[in-house]
Amino acid sequence: MREFNPSRGIGDYFRAALACVATTLLTLPLLGVVDAANIVMIFLLVVALVAMWLGSGPAILAAFGGVALFDFFFVEPRFSMAVADAQYLITLAVMLTVALVIGQLAARLREKALLAARREDETRGLYDIAKELSGAIAADQVADIVHRFLNARLEIEAILYLPRANDTLVAFPAPRGGDQCQTHVRAVYEQGRPMHLVAEESGYAPALALPLISPVRTRGVLLVFADHAERVCATERRPLLDAVASLTAIAVERLHYGEVVQEVTLGMESERLRSALLSAVSHDLRTPLTVLVGLADALTLARPALPPSALDSAVAIRDQALRLSGLVHNLLDMARLQTGKIVLNREWQPLEEVVGSSLKAMAGMLVGRELRLDLAPDLPPLEFDAVLLERVFCNLLENAAKYAPQGDIVITARTAGEVVEVAVVDAGPGLPPNHEESVFDLFERGRHSGAGGGLGLAICRAIVEAHGGRIRAERRAEGGTRMVFTLPLGTPPVLEEEAGE
Amino acid sequence: MNDDRPLILVVEDEPQIRRFVRAALEDEGCVVEAGSAAEALEAFTGPGPALAIIDLGLPDRDGVELIRELRTWTMLPVLVLSARSAEAEKVAALDAGADDYLTKPFGVEEMRARVRALLRRQKVGAGETVTEFGSIRVDRVHRSVTRDGIAIHLTPIEYRLLGALLTNAGRVMTHRQLLKDVWGAGYAERGHYLRIYIGHLRQKLEADPARPRYLLTETGVGYRFQFQDSAT
Repeated sequence: MREFNPSRGIGDYFRAALACVATTLLTLPLLGVVDAANIVMIFLLVVALVAMWLGSGPAILAAFGGVALFDFFFVEPRFSMAVADAQYLITLAVMLTVALVIGQLAARLREKALLAARREDETRGLYDIAKELSGAIAADQVADIVHRFLNARLEIEAILYLPRANDTLVAFPAPRGGDQCQTHVRAVYEQGRPMHLVAEESGYAPALALPLISPVRTRGVLLVFADHAERVCATERRPLLDAVASLTAIAVERLHYGEVVQEVTLGMESERLRSALLSAVSHDLRTPLTVLVGLADALTLARPALPPSALDSAVAIRDQALRLSGLVHNLLDMARLQTGKIVLNREWQPLEEVVGSSLKAMAGMLVGRELRLDLAPDLPPLEFDAVLLERVFCNLLENAAKYAPQGDIVITARTAGEVVEVAVVDAGPGLPPNHEESVFDLFERGRHSGAGGGLGLAICRAIVEAHGGRIRAERRAEGGTRMVFTLPLGTPPVLEEEAGE
Repeated sequence: MNDDRPLILVVEDEPQIRRFVRAALEDEGCVVEAGSAAEALEAFTGPGPALAIIDLGLPDRDGVELIRELRTWTMLPVLVLSARSAEAEKVAALDAGADDYLTKPFGVEEMRARVRALLRRQKVGAGETVTEFGSIRVDRVHRSVTRDGIAIHLTPIEYRLLGALLTNAGRVMTHRQLLKDVWGAGYAERGHYLRIYIGHLRQKLEADPARPRYLLTETGVGYRFQFQDSAT
């Protein structure tokens, strides 16, 4: 890449001086053959050419040099700077002025042409790197492409810093001699503003840290080091560096979304597998249980009636099968809840309704028990998943029925600040001390040993917490347990007034 | 099949389930068994069944699809067998035209009660103008509702809701069906309207609104109006 640089090398001035001397030598034989005015023209032509080839500085040198040489060799008295005929003063002045003007115009033309060529070159370069970046499929590939581009075109070193999973910035390629500039790079990454680093800060050479700003967020940092001429910060390079940073940001963002898509696909795939497995297991367990319950039930109703002992066995088989079925359901519920991706089907509804449906579902288990409802009359509708909340009530009622074989069971509900507090209260022996929390842990068996008692309460906790509520167990002073859970109040939707009411 | 008992079609791929269903329904009708959707459709070539019990997990076809097809040419009552925590499946089956569902595993008495209710429903039809349950009397002609002879005021929507439930007494009505019937198609997603108005109806008609005897909740699915004498 040809570098545009206004400060000319000493060689160009030498060439300009040489051109003036050569012109003098070549035109000397013409003295007396052609008019002095034509020789002036030749000198002006040379100044113009010098300006076009070598730029404005050498052109100024050529203008003054040309005038001096013309004066020295061609104007009487010759071989002296003196001017005999005052008219030549005008000639020399005009010649100098014209030479300077032509020189500057020609030089500017040259600069513009050079600039255009450079821009075209840059554009082509950016197009190439954009094309390469669009094909990159990994972060180190992006870093490699950027590195090669800056190295080949601008002869500068660059390091790409990209955030990784835990939001640490990882350098590509790993910087030589340690990573001293991590804190500065992080500042640039977090603030999203470019920063100049001196050699001590970057640990290598003066550097410019550019944030990789994509449309969504900052995607990393591009650290470019100064070359041997320490020109990294030269303003005319900034647009190119900024463009490279933008292209890199877009490439990194594309990679990021690629990763996200892959993760989501993977997650969906494993989720699909898990739910397929769960439904297969639940189907395979449900079918024999349905048969078992149905056949045992049919036996109890058989005619002529079975002898009493056989009848008892049939009833026992049915009850145990139902219990097993309940356990299987709890296990499957827990498996679903534990995947952490419960889809709550939340709707605004009165709490009373789900209490009623839970009591109906648990009617068999609560036969002969006194059950009182103490629901505050001003309870607003709450937003919850009715099916899951029914599980909570059923499990709490089952727990109460199982562990408090006698006494009333009371369900209370009242608002308490920002939540509704719901409690299922029994008059059983109560929890052992210090079990108020652990009773909701998975496979905690509560008060006395029984099979799998804790699963139901663990499910309760998972469901309540999924609703943004809390669940706790309290020992009542007068004996028994109070299982309390809360549900957030929220703002129920407004019902349109019924016309004509 | 030469008796006059109604034919009951049982579509279920598990032979042991078919076996106890057949045994349990001896008193209610004559059971015709089908192990697949294809066999179920064949059963309609002879004298048509009076009721169908359909398991939603059939080997050859989706049970919901079978119900939808049956509904294109027959109004016979359909009782669906489904798993718990498969509310979406139940709703789909009911929306497709099923009348009621049983959750596996189910007791024999419960199934008998459902079958009896559905068969009776078919005989009675919806032509009655006066309905009585508990101490409530609903006169559909005079649009009056009374409790122990004392008039109860229902708003127009409450009355329409009660009417929709009574017309489909014994059937499970999904939230969507009720919203569409009472409020119109545009309200299909406003489940909270339905729940609040059901609450109002229970306050006005049930002795203990928290423990309703007639306006029953089918959690996650819908509502059912249940005459107590037809239940177990």
